[in-house]
Amino acid sequence: MIHVYGIVDELDSLPPLEGVGDAPLARRRIGDLELVVSETPRDEVTQEAVLRHAEVVEGLMTHSRAVLPAQFSRPFADGEELASAVSAKAPELAESLSRVRGCVELGLRVVAPASESSPSAESGAEYLRARLDDERRRSRLIADIDEPLARLSQATAGARATGNVFERAYLVREEDLSAFLDTVRELETEHPELALACTGPWPPYSFGAEAGQ
Amino acid sequence: MSMDQRPDLRQQVTLLELVDRVLNKGVVLSGDITLSVADVDLVYVGLRVLLSSVATLEEQGMPVAIGDALR
Amino acid sequence: MSATHEPLDKLLAGSGDLDRIAGELEHIQEAFPRRVNADPEKVERGLAQLVLTLVELLRQLMERQALRRMEGGNLTDEQLDRLGETFMKLDQRMTELKAEFGLEDRDLNLNLGPLGNLL
Repeated sequence: MIHVYGIVDELDSLPPLEGVGDAPLARRRIGDLELVVSETPRDEVTQEAVLRHAEVVEGLMTHSRAVLPAQFSRPFADGEELASAVSAKAPELAESLSRVRGCVELGLRVVAPASESSPSAESGAEYLRARLDDERRRSRLIADIDEPLARLSQATAGARATGNVFERAYLVREEDLSAFLDTVRELETEHPELALACTGPWPPYSFGAEAGQ
Repeated sequence: MSMDQRPDLRQQVTLLELVDRVLNKGVVLSGDITLSVADVDLVYVGLRVLLSSVATLEEQGMPVAIGDALR
Repeated sequence: MSATHEPLDKLLAGSGDLDRIAGELEHIQEAFPRRVNADPEKVERGLAQLVLTLVELLRQLMERQALRRMEGGNLTDEQLDRLGETFMKLDQRMTELKAEFGLEDRDLNLNLGPLGNLL
């Protein structure tokens, strides 16, 4: 079975690393795209494998002009399955690859204070109105945070707003990185009630290669 | 409001963020449950498919008939 | 650089209680495949988790539908009251059931892949 790490652009050499399960890394060209892969005997999801995958991708980032990372996914049965999956999506993959060139992914995670979900509402209508207010307040907060950051990004992805947690991934050009972080810090000051974490720079996992699918 | 400086916690958050990012959620069957007895898988409950369908319909603003979600 | 040998720190900015962020992330460890075993101690909890997750899904969907109808202005005051009271009771009952089985919101939160999480 074939495990895919990502699609690379002008990879100068493979990083001095072993892949998942200590298998050697290999380059594979499919059409105009170059992939980095390794053989894997098992379809197994373990933390160790995921971390090794991440390490390889980081290594690829330092050795090439652009990397469209594959998330850790089911391996492909064989070269044919891989080739047909990639060929079918070649144009989108090429586009995604050029989109991420010169960019990194930044992740944002925000935790708002837990809202009282059981208000001592006096009537059913009051309860529903309170729920509606909660919903609207959440939407406004999310917009307050997301909009200025999205403006500084090339793309956003992975948006999830559930309960009192909001998370999103932003694709940011290297040269916009410090403006982005300044904006994050401004938002922190404007919203002292929130717990907030901005992590990165990450390889752009959330921005494209569904090559694994 | 300054950033938490505890290295262990920072590394924990980093690690969890990394796994969250790298791991394709479609691969890992979180949200599907396998009921097993003595390590023998007996019943597979494909909740995720059902729930995804319902959530999609709901996002489209339509009243949800569970029958639609199962189609 | 080795992620497994060197401590990795990718936190660029942050404020507030980082423990709260970590708390939200902990469930990710559960993403690695799990089984509900018919271990008598665990099976009841596992089934309760299954059932309550479905109930929670339906409750949320219905509540959201009600809010949409309310915004649309096509509910009478009486309907609003009855709906609201039912949801209040349902919400309260869910809280009790979760406590009874030692389940947190996070335990009922299924990952829907690209659609995000349930809760």
